[in-house]
Amino acid sequence: MPNVVDDKVARWSDENVERLFREYAETRDPAIREKLVVIHQNLVRYLASKFANRGESLEDLIQVGLIGLVNAVDRFDPNRGTKFSTFATPTIVGEIRRHFRDNSWSLKVPRRLQELNAAANKASEKLTQKLGHPPSVQEIAKEIGATEEETLAAIELGNAYETVSLDSKLSNEEDDGKQTLTEFLGETDSGLEDIETLRDLTKAMEKLEPRERAIIYYRFFRDMPQTEVAKKLNISQMHVSRLQQKALKRLKDILSN
Amino acid sequence: MADIKEMECVEIKAPCRPEYVGVIRLAVLGIASRMDFSFDQVEDLRLAVGEACAAAVERAEKNGRQNTDIVVRSCIAQDRLTIDILDNAGRREELPADFNTDSDPRSIADLLITLLVDEVNVFGDDEGTKVSLVKYSGQPHA
Repeated sequence: MPNVVDDKVARWSDENVERLFREYAETRDPAIREKLVVIHQNLVRYLASKFANRGESLEDLIQVGLIGLVNAVDRFDPNRGTKFSTFATPTIVGEIRRHFRDNSWSLKVPRRLQELNAAANKASEKLTQKLGHPPSVQEIAKEIGATEEETLAAIELGNAYETVSLDSKLSNEEDDGKQTLTEFLGETDSGLEDIETLRDLTKAMEKLEPRERAIIYYRFFRDMPQTEVAKKLNISQMHVSRLQQKALKRLKDILSN
Repeated sequence: MADIKEMECVEIKAPCRPEYVGVIRLAVLGIASRMDFSFDQVEDLRLAVGEACAAAVERAEKNGRQNTDIVVRSCIAQDRLTIDILDNAGRREELPADFNTDSDPRSIADLLITLLVDEVNVFGDDEGTKVSLVKYSGQPHA
C-alpha cells in the first residue's frame, strides 16, 4: 500500500502540486482536494510514525493526522509563498497530540506500555527457566519483539504503576500475614437495607385488612403457632392458614411494585 | 538567571552513533520523570531530544566524524527542564526557511522539534552545534 502511494506522489512535480492548490483555492472541487490529500499522505505517515511508541496504534495516529492534513489543505493559501509541508506540519502534529490528550486516562499509563511491561515480566520468567540465569534486557527485548529502549522504558515506567492484587498480603511478617487488602475495603452496611425494607413493610402492612394484619403480626413478629392465633381471633386454624396465605401474597405484591 | 544555583544537571557523553540515541532517550525519560510533567510531555521531550540527536548522528556520518562524542546536558530547575545537545559532528548546513517533504525530511524533523518544546535555540560553528531545548513544567502545555 505505501508503495502505491509513493508511485502516485512521484508523478506529481512541485509545479503540478502548486497548480492543483491554486485550482482548489478557486473551485473547491472535492476531487482536487482528495488528490491533494493523497499526494501529501506520506507527510502524515512520517509524522505519525514519530509518535507511534506511546500506546496508540500507528493506524489510529495516521487517521487523526489525515484529519489535520485535510484541514490544512482547506486552509492553505498558495499565494502566501509558504510551502505546503511547512504549513501543514503544525496542523497535523496538533491533531495527533490532541488525540493523545483526549485519550489519556487518569492513570496516564498507556495500555501498550502496560502490556509491554506484562510481556517483559513474563518473558523474563520464561527465559530465566530456559537459560538458567536471569535474561539480559536484550534477550527480553528480542523475546517480546520490542526495541531495547521500549523494553527498558516499559520495565521502568510499568513498575511505577504496578497494579496491586486485592489478595496481596499487607505485611511481610508471618504472624499477621493473613491480612489482605480486601479486608480493608469498605462495604455497604446491610443494616441500612434492612431499615428500608422494614419501612416498606410497615407501609404495606397498613394496606392489609385488620384481621390479616393481626395474623401476620402474631405469626411472624410474635412467632405464635397457627393454632394459638386461631384461638386469639376465635376462628378455625384452617381459616388462619388461608388468611395468612392471602395476606402474604398481598404483601408480596405490594412490596414488589 | 537567579535560579541557576538551584539547577541540578545530568550530563551524558556518548559516541555520536545511532545506537546511542536510544540510550539518551531513555536517560531523558528518567530525568524528565523527576519533574512535574505529564506522560505525554515527557514523551514530547524524548521525541524532541531524539530528533536533535538523530540530526547530529546523521551529520557525523556525512562528515566522517562518527568517532566524535555527543554530549547531552539536562538541567532541572524549579519550573523548567533545559536540555542542551552538543556535538562535534561538523558544520550544520543552513536549512532553507521553507522546504517540502520530499527534498528534506530533516527540515520537517527540525520543525517538529519546535512544536514539541517551548524554546529551541541553535548555535553552530565549523566543529559542530549546540541545540538548546527548554520545556516548562507545571502548566498545561499542548
